[in-house]
Amino acid sequence: MLSYYSQLGLRSLRRSPLLSSLMILAIALGISASVSVATVNHLMSSNPIPHKSEQLYYVQLDSWSPFEPAREPNEPPDQITWTDALNLMEASAGLRQSAMASSGAVLEPSDPDQNPFMVSLRLNFSDFFALFDTPFLYGSGWQREDDEQRAYVAVITRAMNDRLFGGENSVGETITLAGKPFRVVGVLDTWQPVPKFYDVTVGAFNTAEDVFIPFYMKQQLELSNGGNTNCWKSPDGEGFEAFLNSECVNYQFWVELPTEGDKAAYINFLNSYVEQQKQLGRFERPLNNRLSNVMQWLENEEVVADDAQIMLYMAFMFLFVCLVNTVGLLLAKFAGKTPEIALRRAVGASRKDIFIQHMIESACIGILGGLLGLLMTLGGLEAIKQLYGDYMQNLVKLDLTMIAFAIILSLLSSLLAGLYPTWRACAVQPASQLKL
Amino acid sequence: MLSMQDLSKTFTTDSVQTHALRDFTLHVNEGEFVAVTGPSGSGKTTFLNIAGLLESFNSGQYILDGHDVSHLTDSQRSKVRNEKIGFIFQNFNLIPDLNLYDNVDVPLRYRGFNGAERKRRIEEGLAQVGLSGRMKHLPSQLSGGQQQRVAIARALAGDPRFILADEPTGNLDSEMAQSVMQLLQAINQQGTTIVMVTHDPALAAQAGRNIFVQDGRVHEEASLC
Amino acid sequence: MNLSRLEIGPLWRALLRNKVGASLIAIQVAVTMAIVINSLAIVIQRDAMMQRDSGLDEDNTFYITSTGYANDFNAQVSVTDDLSRLREMPGIVNAIQINAIPISGGGWSMSLAKTPGDDVETTNTAVYMVDENALETLDLSLVAGREFTPQEIRWRQPSQPNWPSLTIITEALAKSMFDSANNALGQTVYIGDEEPMTIIGVVDQLQAPWVGWSNLEHSMLSPENMAFTSTRYLVRTQAGQRDRMMLEVEEMLSSSQSGRIIRDTTTLTETRDRSYQQHEAMITLLLTVISALLLITIAGIVGLASFSVQKRQQHIGTKRALGATQIDILRFFLLENMLISGVGIILGTLCTVGLNIALVQWFHVTPLAWYYIPAGALVLIIAGQVAVLAPAKNAASISPAMATRAI
Repeated sequence: MLSYYSQLGLRSLRRSPLLSSLMILAIALGISASVSVATVNHLMSSNPIPHKSEQLYYVQLDSWSPFEPAREPNEPPDQITWTDALNLMEASAGLRQSAMASSGAVLEPSDPDQNPFMVSLRLNFSDFFALFDTPFLYGSGWQREDDEQRAYVAVITRAMNDRLFGGENSVGETITLAGKPFRVVGVLDTWQPVPKFYDVTVGAFNTAEDVFIPFYMKQQLELSNGGNTNCWKSPDGEGFEAFLNSECVNYQFWVELPTEGDKAAYINFLNSYVEQQKQLGRFERPLNNRLSNVMQWLENEEVVADDAQIMLYMAFMFLFVCLVNTVGLLLAKFAGKTPEIALRRAVGASRKDIFIQHMIESACIGILGGLLGLLMTLGGLEAIKQLYGDYMQNLVKLDLTMIAFAIILSLLSSLLAGLYPTWRACAVQPASQLKL
Repeated sequence: MLSMQDLSKTFTTDSVQTHALRDFTLHVNEGEFVAVTGPSGSGKTTFLNIAGLLESFNSGQYILDGHDVSHLTDSQRSKVRNEKIGFIFQNFNLIPDLNLYDNVDVPLRYRGFNGAERKRRIEEGLAQVGLSGRMKHLPSQLSGGQQQRVAIARALAGDPRFILADEPTGNLDSEMAQSVMQLLQAINQQGTTIVMVTHDPALAAQAGRNIFVQDGRVHEEASLC
Repeated sequence: MNLSRLEIGPLWRALLRNKVGASLIAIQVAVTMAIVINSLAIVIQRDAMMQRDSGLDEDNTFYITSTGYANDFNAQVSVTDDLSRLREMPGIVNAIQINAIPISGGGWSMSLAKTPGDDVETTNTAVYMVDENALETLDLSLVAGREFTPQEIRWRQPSQPNWPSLTIITEALAKSMFDSANNALGQTVYIGDEEPMTIIGVVDQLQAPWVGWSNLEHSMLSPENMAFTSTRYLVRTQAGQRDRMMLEVEEMLSSSQSGRIIRDTTTLTETRDRSYQQHEAMITLLLTVISALLLITIAGIVGLASFSVQKRQQHIGTKRALGATQIDILRFFLLENMLISGVGIILGTLCTVGLNIALVQWFHVTPLAWYYIPAGALVLIIAGQVAVLAPAKNAASISPAMATRAI
């Protein structure tokens, strides 16, 4: 019977092509607008590391000025100082932890035919790779002792490996970075967390860095500050060391704490660390340390752009208008079928039969509208990508969840739109006097 | 076969009550061919709608094929219409965008027959009315008489216990009307009960039994042999 | 015209009997109105934002980055050489070394105070480190005071924390701290709590690097060249020479010295486009939504009106038979649509205000100016009338003979 009703539905759509295409187009437009914008929002608010997002914590310490908070109302700064980064690393109070920073340097390829070029750097500790379960194509991260010994080791991305070594296993090869030879110990496989949660300071949807090197290289090679540097007072004294040891914040710190107990213990540790620093004359503000897990941190940093949310509301209201439109048109369409319904009732169709038939007809519109809407969504996402450029390039991928969402949304929408017209159709009395 | 006892039906609008049927009593036996005649507004159509379970009534009793159908729910009535009654309408009431095959198929779908059974019945029905070769045609490609034949095939396809015909020849010229009447008579010969509503005495004369309705009552009954 | 021909009374009563159909259109009009007006307000705000002037000669300005990597790379020598070569090139108006590019998204900011100390009221401003050629290169004109002299320019070493003793600030910053440019002249401001800088000049306009910043017009110039291995040059060319000069400058800098890379040659127009890309995109998206929405609503009205004409054929024929002219029929449908739209607009005004309150509350959108509402209402009334015109014309052409056709 289902296939019979579907046939009837499609036939009925064909009978009034203009009205039907208008309804299908309305649903498709509403769906594609909603799904395109929802995709962007979905990816913006997606969990970049679902299997451990509850065990990874971002550390904030309130080292700011005694006279004003870093951010109103009484928010601690969003990054930490060099001094605190090193102290927290030294304490190693979590299961795994890494302080990190971004920077840039010139890379001189060994092939003399290739020109030197700028690469983006991530400075981090050896735990970084296990902390975030980064996928390795070749080799692995460096060892703990490499951090302390300030070994010239590097992990490069797959794209960088393709560029420098034509995709060959480059573990053991040397690259010249900031004038120094670095030994490649690992090549990452494609790794682009969306959002790029581990450092959202200069854009939560940027591309991951090209090269990863030990954190201490910052000091060793006097590397420039990437990202945001915020200071509430000037460094004491001149030179790079003074700047490193200042109260300027430019470093992120992540720690892995598998259980609630570990988290509580770590908070205690942070508090006692700050108390101890207070003895040294730092941390003049009241105790205000924060641990945020991945999703809390992304929420805190408001990585979902306001514009994307505004568009989401607009798109769903647009879908609503399309639905109201479809209700009206379906009402007209079903009203035009009154004689046929009366005949079907006369030859024995029950109200339920008529109900199912017309809900299926509505669903046909929904499915056709949903499919067309999906196609249009691809176009819509491409348009968003063109309009926003780099900013959106990691945010316009239609995944299975969103495809399912599109189909279910269109089906539900059309059934909802069809409900009242169908109810009216069911109220048609069987009759002998018909005008077909 | 069909037994109506003291049926009454009133239509109530804002202020006026109209009695369409009053104490309407009629018994039709199995295998009969009954013609119901009467002037415009006599209650013929109301009788037909009630007999066909298209409308309910206010009081009285209606027994169809041994079952009391006076107080059925809407979906029970749908089932009875589908299984026991075949309709033939003055306007044929074919669905314009379905071909002949699919038009005859309509009641069979609600009957829940499987595909093979439906195919057999549709082909048989269309053969019976002499339209086997035109199954894929649309109603608009047929003459009025042919359309009515399709409607008869549709009425017969479900093997109804009786057929209700409403001015079956009203929209046909006399030659076509005659051939449709012959078809109905042939069907009646095979044992199907037929109740036909018409205003045409000549047509009524061809039925086995005549009933005259006036002011919502059976007024006169004449048996013509 | 005889007013009694306008069948408002009967029409209204008929609408009340067909509540559902009419309500559907009214709801559609209402929500459409809310979206269209609020979106349009955002579009207009964003557009106004994009029209703001950076102060630079944007069409004829570009910048280029030099990053030294050789161990023997001497930043100070390199910058001096580069600047003198750049300034000699025909086609170039002037060039400077600069620490940050206006409206580019990345730069330095500092806080200034009128008195020294760490617990005083401060004003934030963008800082541009430039030399005596800054005013010509950045296309700035003095409102008060004077320019830097070559003798006043110092060298800043990497990680050097202190500041020169002189500064030039923008008029907006002068007004914010001292109420006027003239008041600001000669005043001392304290940078980073305690270091004094004397204001020797005030310039008309120079925007900060961050286009979304509330202090966008706050900028100060600090007289210094930077002995940094990685540095940027901002070049202003003669009108129409920019694209040619970009290639020539890139070529000149690349060949003048080894041990460095020359990269990211970017025009200021590209920079503006990139900085405002999200706003531009938002404008395009919202305009698309507005057009699609109006089209859907119009199509919906056409669909329902056509259906209603079809359904009322006999009724219309009867009216015609009883003496209604074609104009009467046309007017009937236009009037009917007007009444429905009117209800929609009353409802829509509430929706518009509600949506605006939500947007202001959640997304800090600027509240709507009142005149958007009547303007939007007018647009929707016109859209409705246009939509219903074709079906109404069809209705008007129905023959009076329809009246005698059997139902």
